[in-house]
Amino acid sequence: MTPDALAPYLPLLAVLVLAGGLGAIVSVMSALLGPKRPSAVKSTIFEAGSEPSPGSARQRFAVKFYVVALLFIVFDIETVFLYPWAVNFKALGWFGYGEMAVFAVTLVIGLAYVWKKGALDWES
Amino acid sequence: MLTLPTLTSTDFLPLWPALILSAGACLVLLSEVFLSSASRSFQPLLTVIATVLGALVAAATVFSVPTGVFGGFVVLDPFGSLVSLVICIGVGLSALLAPAFLRGRQAERGEFYALLLFGGAGMSLLVLSNELIFLFINLEILSIATYALAAYLRRGPRPAEAGFKYFILGAFSSAVLLYGAALLFGATRSTLLPQMGAELARIFTDPTLSDRQPLAYCGLALIGAGFGFKIAAVPFHMWTPDVYEGAPTPVTAMMSAAVKAAAFAAMVRVFLVLGRGIPGDALLTGFSTLAFLTMIGGNLLALPQRNVKRMLAYSSISHAGYLLVGVASLFVKSGTTKGGVLGVTALAAGATPDTAGALRGILFYLLAYTVTTVGAFGVLGALERRDDEVRGFAWDLDRLAGLAQRKPAWAVAMAVFMLSLGGIPPMAGFMGKLLIFRSAVDAGLVGLVIVGVLTSAVGAYYYLRVVVYMYMRPAPEAGGLPERNLSTELALVLSTVAVVVLGVLPGITGTWLSRGGSVFLGR
Amino acid sequence: MTTFLFYFFAILTVVAAAGVIAARSPMYSAMSLVGTFFCLAAIYALLLAHTIAVLQVLVYAGAIMVLFLFVIMLLSLGEAVGPAKVTFPRVVGGIASAVLFAFLVVAARPFVPVGAQPPPSFGTLQSIGAQLYTQWLAPFEAVSLRVLVARVGAVVVAKSRV
Repeated sequence: MTPDALAPYLPLLAVLVLAGGLGAIVSVMSALLGPKRPSAVKSTIFEAGSEPSPGSARQRFAVKFYVVALLFIVFDIETVFLYPWAVNFKALGWFGYGEMAVFAVTLVIGLAYVWKKGALDWES
Repeated sequence: MLTLPTLTSTDFLPLWPALILSAGACLVLLSEVFLSSASRSFQPLLTVIATVLGALVAAATVFSVPTGVFGGFVVLDPFGSLVSLVICIGVGLSALLAPAFLRGRQAERGEFYALLLFGGAGMSLLVLSNELIFLFINLEILSIATYALAAYLRRGPRPAEAGFKYFILGAFSSAVLLYGAALLFGATRSTLLPQMGAELARIFTDPTLSDRQPLAYCGLALIGAGFGFKIAAVPFHMWTPDVYEGAPTPVTAMMSAAVKAAAFAAMVRVFLVLGRGIPGDALLTGFSTLAFLTMIGGNLLALPQRNVKRMLAYSSISHAGYLLVGVASLFVKSGTTKGGVLGVTALAAGATPDTAGALRGILFYLLAYTVTTVGAFGVLGALERRDDEVRGFAWDLDRLAGLAQRKPAWAVAMAVFMLSLGGIPPMAGFMGKLLIFRSAVDAGLVGLVIVGVLTSAVGAYYYLRVVVYMYMRPAPEAGGLPERNLSTELALVLSTVAVVVLGVLPGITGTWLSRGGSVFLGR
Repeated sequence: MTTFLFYFFAILTVVAAAGVIAARSPMYSAMSLVGTFFCLAAIYALLLAHTIAVLQVLVYAGAIMVLFLFVIMLLSLGEAVGPAKVTFPRVVGGIASAVLFAFLVVAARPFVPVGAQPPPSFGTLQSIGAQLYTQWLAPFEAVSLRVLVARVGAVVVAKSRV
């Protein structure tokens, strides 16, 4: 394998190094240089200006989040199939359009079902 | 520039049953949410019409010339068409059982029928798949539909456990199968079954490729284990009794009839096409061991069951064992005398194993078992009462006591199904066993057939016990009778007639099933 | 360089995967799983399967992990208590896994990198699309059916009031 095959990943690496490095540098710098004057008020729990909510953070979620997440994944997987079609759109022509139409019709049937069933309805 | 495939009407010929079933499913699904009227009684009708149409088009393709379509991904062959037909029959009969069952539980909703049809479409596609990725996707279509159906009614701990257990173990077995497929792809560098078969033949003959042999064996073993879960062969059977017991009874009927037939047919196709290139008796050893364990395990575990639904679940395991005898006889190579768990008796000089005969036997058995088991679960589902389900004795033998006085016609039907399951003439199950065992003896698997006959005798005990309870035990005092229901009775009548006719006149399927012996093997 | 990167990510994958089953809290398990997914994506990229690498991050590390976290929150699982018990099924499962592992070591040993140079378009979105929508037409349409069934199944199981 030639090294340049992985060359497109260099910017990704650069971003990772920059982001990680910057985070590390900032926290190290502030720990080294910042003045430390703790007081009782400063060490209370701070939560977006309001009183901290009591109890554990591990609260039980409602099941409706789960339905939405599940449907999200299903639609997510369907969109994945649109990318390879889009970049080959011209070459595939009407044939590809027909294929994707069949695919999209099943998607729409599913969407219509889910919608009318009220699975996307938050209040019910 | 891309070369686009050209599709002709021949390409769609094998797909019609699946297309009709999924179109029916979409119609049911949309009617469920878009029609505001309260009546949903047309949905089972629509389902049955879709399965009948699917069965008709499947039957129409039985005599087409075997060929590969869609670039070899899908096959059009009599074997696939006939199994599609069996699947449509199984799904249709199960759908007939559903209305009364669902009404008794206030659970009549279109999704049930839509999932039945989607599952049927997946099964039909599964038996036509000639490529491992396509096969896996279709296996998932049918599995997801069945998981959701098994969890359809979740009141009480048992149904919840059934749905959950089926899902976890089903997903696990799919993963095992997929892993095996990936390893086999690594060894053969193709996923098209015919090409893989040709490549396997090279791997096992060309010494320079012999280092790929372990990978090929690993892949085949894992695929076999994955299918073993799906067909509930011992030692991959643990999920079966709990799931069969906990699932809604029409769903259990569908699972034991159609799902099992589809998984069996897909397994036969995969190993038949791949197995041509594998020398020696590796496949024979594998399948005869599975058959041996499954026949003995299924029958012995069924023996102490007082719960009839659970007994039928174990019986379904044991029937997978008899079918596996037929599958094992497909892999006897002419001239071998050893191999398999119980050895192979030498064939007469010049005789070759009759693969077509064995396939015919398997097809007849699948058909006979499908109509029998749907009927048996149908009677059971009609007799059970909701309030007993939680306590777990809704399917106790006592529930059938005195049925001959209370419901003579039902008792006759149940007796017919039990005799057929027990392999007692003149029922369809007997003919199925006869055909399978005959082709196994022709192939030389005498030891395995002896085990099969002995375990059938064991099986006769627990099947006949049901008949004894129905005819010779007094009916309980407070035995309420189920309401009459047209579609349930239609399903029972149809399957009873089919069991008797197939048993008395097996010849009516003759030309069809002889066609079914020809499997498209590809280039 | 590639070999070094491979071993780096491979070891990281194994460590993260071990973390998934060893962690006491399901939340830590899920986070280890994210790590496994990312390392696998890096290995896919090393194999020049660029599209798969991106989809691995997008679908698995993104969408599927969200679902995992939802389920953990839904069940509000605490940490496991007490030491892991040695039960018969676990022993059988462990033996089966060990046997499979041994077999795979034997089976995979003869395979050495062939050093073949794939075409520059290999693994790109375009070349995958060119294959998927011509040759792999049948599985592609089957996927649409599978996704539809999955959606109906999800609604039936999660939304039903039966």
